[in-house]
Amino acid sequence: MILVVVMALSLWRDRAGLVLVFVLPPLVFIAFATVFSAGASGRLDIRAGVVDEADSADSRRLVDSLRQRLGGRLTRLPDTLALEDAIAAGRVDAGLVLHGDLADAPTPVTVLIHPGRRAAGEVLTAQVNAAAGQDLPDLMLHREVAVLDPILALTPDQVRRATGAPSGFGSPPSFTVQRILPGGDPLVIYYAGAVSILFLMFTAMQGAMSLIDERRAGLWMRLGLSAGGIAPLLGGRMLWLTGLGVVQALVLFLVAAVLYGVPLLANLAAWSATAICAAAASAGIALALATACRTREQAQPVSTFAFLILAAIGGSMAPRFLMPEALQTLGWLTPHAWVIEAYQAVLWRGLVNTTVVQAWTVLSSFAAVGFLAAVWIEGRRRL
Amino acid sequence: MAAEQTEVVLRLAKATRRYGNKAALDQVDLELAEGEVYALIGRNGAGKSTLAKAAIGALALDAGSVRVLGADPARDRSVRREIGVAPQEIALYPHLTVTENLGVFAMLAGVSRTERASAVARAMDQTVCTERAGERLDHLSSGWRRRANLAAAIVHRPRLLVLDEPTEGLDAETRLVLRSLIDGLRTDRTAILLISHNAEDVAVLADRLGVMEAGKLLVEGRPLELMAQAFGGRTVLVARLSAASPSAERILAARGLASSDRGSCWSGMVVDAVAQAHEIKMALRSVDVELRELTVNPPGLDALINWAMGSVGA
Repeated sequence: MILVVVMALSLWRDRAGLVLVFVLPPLVFIAFATVFSAGASGRLDIRAGVVDEADSADSRRLVDSLRQRLGGRLTRLPDTLALEDAIAAGRVDAGLVLHGDLADAPTPVTVLIHPGRRAAGEVLTAQVNAAAGQDLPDLMLHREVAVLDPILALTPDQVRRATGAPSGFGSPPSFTVQRILPGGDPLVIYYAGAVSILFLMFTAMQGAMSLIDERRAGLWMRLGLSAGGIAPLLGGRMLWLTGLGVVQALVLFLVAAVLYGVPLLANLAAWSATAICAAAASAGIALALATACRTREQAQPVSTFAFLILAAIGGSMAPRFLMPEALQTLGWLTPHAWVIEAYQAVLWRGLVNTTVVQAWTVLSSFAAVGFLAAVWIEGRRRL
Repeated sequence: MAAEQTEVVLRLAKATRRYGNKAALDQVDLELAEGEVYALIGRNGAGKSTLAKAAIGALALDAGSVRVLGADPARDRSVRREIGVAPQEIALYPHLTVTENLGVFAMLAGVSRTERASAVARAMDQTVCTERAGERLDHLSSGWRRRANLAAAIVHRPRLLVLDEPTEGLDAETRLVLRSLIDGLRTDRTAILLISHNAEDVAVLADRLGVMEAGKLLVEGRPLELMAQAFGGRTVLVARLSAASPSAERILAARGLASSDRGSCWSGMVVDAVAQAHEIKMALRSVDVELRELTVNPPGLDALINWAMGSVGA
């Protein structure tokens, strides 16, 4: 019994331990529940693009209905090519092309699906069918009657009565068709990027935490006597952590290339730039955290919590389009989202587009801000 | 006269540093000349480490100044090359060998590539750790690590050396090696600030001694002079009894001894300790009190600290 009391007292007086045991679990639960519950319940805030080639009264009604359902997440685009580009660039998750007469054409709606976001395509298809069924019942009934009339030889009276009782008919056949865009399976690249940045963070933190040990042993004070001062010492550590991160990412992507045919060698230059930026961002963040913490006991739970939350929001654990819209937006504040986007663009699409350049810029900024914060914190500690 | 001919390497003037309401350094004035060993003693939390950090520029002062060879080590990076530090902990990379560790610190201290190997060899030779040069730090015993720790502090031939408990936990042989090294460095005109709890180290090595308490430098002077000033000809007499007894208490208290443990262990400063010891022995025998041990010791650093606190700090 006395040991129970001793351990209870020890835990009570260990603030970091208390946070780890009692505060972190519910916080991580809240974060994960928010991130994943939307996907599990089917309430997905997907972003869709639409091309209205028909430009008829019916097609406009369908677009209006979809706009109400998707809110600001429906974007009109001028033609199919632009829509395919938007899907490929990740500006929208899935697309819709309305062509022909919605009432009579056999398959007037084509849903364009990114091969890496099939769930988004399914959700958009369901939204289109629901919009048509609930907000355009006359149109759907017309399609049913048009299908059934040649078979059953309905009288005009039957047709009139039928159009007054739309609930008697089922879903319209072939109202939508799905087309998956070419490009193989980008999910491998997605998860290579997602896992890479997740472990880059943990690796960088492990390396940065040796700084805490060095500080405790007096090694940091001795190092601080070097003529360069603190900034070059932290800079050297940043350089090492960045290099280590690049090698770690290289090993992971080489495995992806060998096992899954990820085109690493064909896009090596752009991949290298992305890997360097990602590793530098991880190193900067880890150094800032390590300098801010006085002990390993502080740094361990703080970094674990921070990195798990960043990974969840940033899309390292599940694709961001499965998350509520607010979290998708929040995801852009994490390096994870940018790393994943950049790797996808570079390796799947073989592009160095605006998104990639933005990603490099944002990741470099994470690195710079983290490093400067570490120098500032360490300078303050010395004073 | 000699002090006028030597250069002052370290000078603290009214050095003050506060943490909230507590003064970690309170208007400390201290000068350390080349070739001088200055021992700093005091209780835990007295401000010795804070003073050492301030001396090397690792801590900014709220008031006052620190100069090493005339420059502020917190701002003037070039003067930091003239400083060597051996912290109490082993401040070296555990996975590197002794040679590799010394190479790192020589490079960081600005020793040129061409001179680096000879600087490392010289430092290892001075600390007598050449035979373990190729071994990793984490494979060495604490004595060898401490030698390497000191070697890293002198590899770049600093003019100011700060040593924090350099002989802590060492065997007699290693202790002698390090004392000999410090003596040699003094001869080479290195100024040494020595933080130590070891009375023998202080007595053997220190040219001057400073006692700190609550951030203040209470007294300073040459060790023998301070001891004489504090204790005159008195020494410490310790009597251990097999059991406490009222009659023994009367006898010992009458001779100025006090008990620290309810009557079985007594100690005090006495003049002419040998005669006093004989008298106590006879008196205790007359009342049938068994005396387990009776020792006469020179006053230690704790006694000196207590004296300084009583005479200056109060």
